[in-house]
Amino acid sequence: MSELTQQLSALAARLDEALKAVGDEKGLEELRIAYLGRNGEVTAVRRQIGTLPAAERPAAGKTINDAVGLMEAQFERAEAALRSKALAASLEQSIDVTFPGTSPLRGSIHPIRRTINDACRYFERHGFAVVLGNEIETGYHNFDALNIPPDHPAREGLDSFYVRPDLVLRTHTSPMQIRTMQSYPPPVAIVVPGKAFRRDAVDARHSYMFHQIEGLMIGEGIHFGHLKGMLQGMCRELFGPRQAVRFRPSFFPFTEPSAEVDTTCPACSGSGGACRTCGGSGWIEIGGSGMVHPDVLREVKYDPSRVSGWAFGMGIERIAMVRHDMDDIRAFFENEPGFLEQLA
Amino acid sequence: MLLPLAWLKEYVELDASTDEIVAKLATLGFPVDSVERRPQCSGVVVGKLVKVEKHPNADRLQICTVEIGESRPLVIATAAANVAQGQVVPVAKIGAQLVGLKIEARKMRGIDSQGMLVSANELGFDAEWFEDGILILEDDAPIGADFIAHAGLNDDVIDVEITANRVDAMCLIGIARELAVAFKAALRLPETAIEHYAGDSSDVTVRLESPDCKHFVAQRVDGLAVRPATATMRLRLTLAGQRPINNLVDISNYVMLETGQPLHFYDVTKLAERTIVVRDAREGEVIRTLDGEQRTLSPKILVIADGKGAQGIAGIMGGATSEVDGRTASILIEAATFDGPRVRRGGIALGLRTDASARHEKGLPIALAELGAARAARLLASEGGAVQAPRKYGQDVPAPRTVQLPKSEVTRLLGVTISDREVDEALTRLGFFVNSEGAAYTIAIPLWRDDVKMEADVVEEIARAVGYERIEAVVPHIAVTEIPSDAYDLEGRIARAAAAAYREIVTFALQPAAIRTKYENAGVALPRKPLEIANPLSEDQRFMRFSIVPAILELAARELHELPLRVFELGHVFGDAQPAPDEIAMLAWALVAGPRSEPVWHDTDFLTFKGEAEAIVREVTGMMPQSVAAECAELHPGKTAALQIDGRAVALIGALDPRLIAAFGVEANVYAGFMPLAGVPAHRLPKYVSPSRFPGVTRDLALLVAPAVTAADVETAIRATLDGIARKVRVFDEYRGPQIAADKKSLAVSLLLQRDDATMTDAEADARIQAVLDALKEKLGATIRS
Repeated sequence: MSELTQQLSALAARLDEALKAVGDEKGLEELRIAYLGRNGEVTAVRRQIGTLPAAERPAAGKTINDAVGLMEAQFERAEAALRSKALAASLEQSIDVTFPGTSPLRGSIHPIRRTINDACRYFERHGFAVVLGNEIETGYHNFDALNIPPDHPAREGLDSFYVRPDLVLRTHTSPMQIRTMQSYPPPVAIVVPGKAFRRDAVDARHSYMFHQIEGLMIGEGIHFGHLKGMLQGMCRELFGPRQAVRFRPSFFPFTEPSAEVDTTCPACSGSGGACRTCGGSGWIEIGGSGMVHPDVLREVKYDPSRVSGWAFGMGIERIAMVRHDMDDIRAFFENEPGFLEQLA
Repeated sequence: MLLPLAWLKEYVELDASTDEIVAKLATLGFPVDSVERRPQCSGVVVGKLVKVEKHPNADRLQICTVEIGESRPLVIATAAANVAQGQVVPVAKIGAQLVGLKIEARKMRGIDSQGMLVSANELGFDAEWFEDGILILEDDAPIGADFIAHAGLNDDVIDVEITANRVDAMCLIGIARELAVAFKAALRLPETAIEHYAGDSSDVTVRLESPDCKHFVAQRVDGLAVRPATATMRLRLTLAGQRPINNLVDISNYVMLETGQPLHFYDVTKLAERTIVVRDAREGEVIRTLDGEQRTLSPKILVIADGKGAQGIAGIMGGATSEVDGRTASILIEAATFDGPRVRRGGIALGLRTDASARHEKGLPIALAELGAARAARLLASEGGAVQAPRKYGQDVPAPRTVQLPKSEVTRLLGVTISDREVDEALTRLGFFVNSEGAAYTIAIPLWRDDVKMEADVVEEIARAVGYERIEAVVPHIAVTEIPSDAYDLEGRIARAAAAAYREIVTFALQPAAIRTKYENAGVALPRKPLEIANPLSEDQRFMRFSIVPAILELAARELHELPLRVFELGHVFGDAQPAPDEIAMLAWALVAGPRSEPVWHDTDFLTFKGEAEAIVREVTGMMPQSVAAECAELHPGKTAALQIDGRAVALIGALDPRLIAAFGVEANVYAGFMPLAGVPAHRLPKYVSPSRFPGVTRDLALLVAPAVTAADVETAIRATLDGIARKVRVFDEYRGPQIAADKKSLAVSLLLQRDDATMTDAEADARIQAVLDALKEKLGATIRS
């Protein structure tokens, strides 16, 4: 019996030494097999139980089991020690964190869409629907219903491309005002982003194809001040929280009163001076607007004595150019990868 | 319109700076495009040449004794050939500053010259528009006066934009009237009075045969001598951009710029039968206009004719036959009112636009014709003309219109309250008459404001006069009719999905004919019949785009160094169709990848592109599409797939037709996809299926099949055999080559077999796989690769 105990304690002592020498998990596992495995040291000791008298066998079994329990604890301690050593070692490691990261495969939204989305988001928050329309429009929707009869001098500034005698590439997004009001009863509130076309030569500031966002709000008690409020909110969404909006009288056949809309120049925060963006005025012009003309309301069977409201049209490229500090509208349509990457 | 401020100030007292005037005009609705700062001159006075002698020592010089209102006249030597005793001229004194020239005392061939006689060029004017030599002033110019101040030469010239509705403001008086309101200054209208008339203009007969001539004032002036106009008038016209011609032509231009009424002067002696007829031109009638052009007319054109033929195109340009010339002594003033659209159509038909037609085509008020004629008569009288009384034809000057404006309208439309007193004051200054008694304003519209027709127009005038800055920014809060934003939401979803890996581009919607030719020459069918623009600005814009592919290929050709290139565009393509043209909103996207060396039956980039395309469809619809071989214009016939949901194609994807790629000079592989928005099914939210709690078994099979057997065939057959328990079936590799028979290919398939109700045992898996192999052999002739 005591011989068994001696053997076991010698085994434990040897294991202790062996564990001290082990440097990794693999060595530990080998040791575990050597001591506690099916053909290991402990098994060899256990076989001696058969040589003992029957009465001593249970006690011997217990002694061995106890010893195995202790050895397992030894292994656990050794394992814990190894683990904390490995953690300590991993904490010692360091890499060059300034080494360039591996870029993920990423696309991007065009700055024109981004600007449209940013503007629309503001209006959607205020209950406006966003509607889209076709780029080929009837002369009726593009001109006549908007109070621009065939010989109206205002058609001059809206020099249009024709695809059929009565089908034009829309010169503005305003036809959707008519289509919306003809489809839905007041009160209505929509914005219409989209392309428009005018027979303009392409240069740094002009393009025959461009984007607009149109706004329309009609209801009882809707007035010019509401237009200013919404446009101010939109400008704050697009340019920053301190934007102001200024109206200047103007003329559009489908609004009366009409106004050009200026907003604080975001480049110089309105201080003007030598600012290149606003030419020193402290303001940038972003579009036209006004109270929807009573003739237009009558055309869509709205009653101008009961409902009133406003419309506006803004040039998206102009807004995006100011936002991104660009000076050539052609960059939007050239789609240089470098340009798209910068404004991604 | 160019406005010389010195001239403008003749009609309104302004001591504001140019910047203040510019800012004020902007707030009134007249934005200033540019300001011309004039060269600053000084030290020039009006002088009279009391004596002109030859220089004793120089043939080309003359010695002038010049009276400038000081105790002693100046002695000035000049080389100018156009000086004569008695002339009044500008004189630069010692110390004077001219354009690029400072005047100093100097000896000229032994004579001390005490200054310089000045030409228009030395004051900053184009020499070609003025006499050679010294600028000759009118005889009554005030001797000794500061000429720069007298002629207003240091004042800026502003270029102001006039909106199409404000024809009344296309003249100095119109702008002066606006500034008078803004600066609360008095408006001074020019003199028009004639002391007595020399006749009644009745010896020329005038007949209006077209209702499009609404009013015609004819006024005869005799005893005229054609000569240069006064220097003041010539300098003013020049600053306003009008070249001086002679006193008569200049007066007609001057009055147009001053009052806005275009005029025409006929040489009375040249009018056949002393008759004026306003009528439609005859078909093929020919006129030589003042610009020397021979023009053939049609009845669309309204003309002013004499007894023989057209003498002018109404409202646009006069004719050469009855033109004022150097011997003209008697003229007939025409101040007429024509129908605006008629003039506009005539101008378009002739391709001719003039300062006169720019005004007439907007529709001038009848009252203005009377003012224009009277002002011209007055100026002609000061040129020594004997003026006859005007005769008026056509409609009478109408009584002022009145508009009733309920007071509540002002607040309803503007959102601010404006007092009766403010309304009254603002409108009165603009020439309106206001009666504010009761619940409505009764407003009489001035005769020159034909644009003000209804309540809203008056509200704008009120807002303009009190200032748009009075409008307060208010955010509206009302419940509105529910209008769907579906199309915008779908575009947003698609753009987000595509932008995960692709860069959005925006390209022109118009294309040159050359694009179509490239397709045709390459033998590639057009996806749609090109829709032609009837009036393109240039050949680059001849057609609406029938596809976005050309723009992508042009970009690729330009950016081949940037491969791989991934781009998408979300826009409309167009096709010529009946009854209406097609306009199709679609997503087009493309991967441009460099060449690879791989066997013909394998295309790595296609698989990459397809995987990304499936991800886009999945993101947009919420569903994973199935792919089947398909055909599509512009795509490779053997490398095109339809991505389907519920058996309907949502997108067509594939390698671009290599002939098309070559036609655009792109040396790369291009893969493209098209997703028409109209065919995109509504987004379906995915439902959750909880995973089985029981372990499954994974098996890989290597199958030998004929090359025509597709991955989809194999997958379909496997799923059909395994019904519910095939949790994953994926063909993950294809091999052809020496290790297998030449007429076979090898497909590697990975399967996961799993049950919801029990563990999948190896025994069951073996049995199931055997069933699969049997089915594959029967349906597809597949064998297991050993």
